[in-house]
Amino acid sequence: MSDDHARETPPGARDAAAGGSVLDGAGDVPAGAREALAGAQAVLLAALVAGGEAPPGFDEGRLRIQAASLISKRRGTVARVRPDLVALLGGDFAREFEAYARGRPKPPGGSRADARDFADRLRAAGRLPPEPETAAGASRWLRPFRRVVKLLSGAVRPTG
Amino acid sequence: MAGSGSLGVGIGWRPEIDLTVERLPGVDFVEVVAENVRPERLPESLRVLRARGVPVIPHGVGLGVGGAEPPDPARLAHLAACAQALDAPLVSEHLAFVRAGGMEAGHLLPVPRTRAALSVVAANVRRAQAALPVPLALENVAALFGWPEDEMTEAQFLGELVEMTGVGLLVDVANLYTNQVNLGLSATGALDGLPLSELAYVHVAGGHSHHGVWHDTHTAHVPGEVLDILSELCARVDPPGVLLEWDDDYPSDAALEAELGRVRGAMARV
Repeated sequence: MSDDHARETPPGARDAAAGGSVLDGAGDVPAGAREALAGAQAVLLAALVAGGEAPPGFDEGRLRIQAASLISKRRGTVARVRPDLVALLGGDFAREFEAYARGRPKPPGGSRADARDFADRLRAAGRLPPEPETAAGASRWLRPFRRVVKLLSGAVRPTG
Repeated sequence: MAGSGSLGVGIGWRPEIDLTVERLPGVDFVEVVAENVRPERLPESLRVLRARGVPVIPHGVGLGVGGAEPPDPARLAHLAACAQALDAPLVSEHLAFVRAGGMEAGHLLPVPRTRAALSVVAANVRRAQAALPVPLALENVAALFGWPEDEMTEAQFLGELVEMTGVGLLVDVANLYTNQVNLGLSATGALDGLPLSELAYVHVAGGHSHHGVWHDTHTAHVPGEVLDILSELCARVDPPGVLLEWDDDYPSDAALEAELGRVRGAMARV
């Protein structure tokens, strides 16, 4: 981020930095404020999605509820991307997804990648048939709904 | 707030209910989740609505102006392109962070409400405003937890942000209700503290109670308590627009129509 700042900081702003703040874009940001916020948000998010320890001062019970709610939201999206997995796992879907997602952040690549990693884990555990058969099966099964699935699979929910 | 004019009563447009939204009587405007559309290839339903003169507001969920990093220029360019393609009166986003330390939250998380964080968020908002062809409005979020270092209420933080940047407000009354139930923060107290003169529009939605915690799921009937907060808001200001969010477990067209009727009823109860 410091490179980014160096590139975007207008000439003259360096002098302000000596006085304790820098011109950040069009605004005045105290020196180190971005870095401090980045650190605090990263530690909190690690506690919520990557199995990190709760940062001091937070209500740990509430962070656990938030963490569970984030997994449940991911599960809903993966269920929409891969209805075949929901059909296959039936009542085990939620428990299997929870076991997969706990302590494991959503991978880069969004919900599609999340669904793929989940399927890979199920396959490794012998809960899914080998890849080619599944892909062909899913594709045959989903053919009539392909447009809908395509439309929905990347969809983000605005809940908030 | 500049840009919003008079929007009326609306509903969140979703691909699953596109035809419903087109058919529903009394839909004065809609909102589309910006990350779910490609401006160069808008869904036909949105083009139909635009041809009818129905305003469509791009609503972003992934910018994270409450994050430590400046907003991503590619995400801003997408929002700007959506606004242009839809000839939108404004763009809306959230006062939230959605990623940090290389991890995605997949959700809108509350920002620590400190002076230092405010200066970062204000700088982010200014960058976003500079990249958008229309005004920006920011929404208050539903939180399950607060930061121990919070120095301000969300209303105070948003008020400062409005003063520093001129950003508009999207007040989600369901989120105010969520924070009242989960965090003991008075919703009417929040309404008292928010600069409602800068109100762009309002969100209402339903949710579920689970072990005493309110989850703002947007998948259920709007509870009377949320409509009461909407009435309280309307007693303070005539909102330019009020929009119902419903995101999954869609009910019948008649049920959605009745829900819009309940929203109008709450607005008229003043």
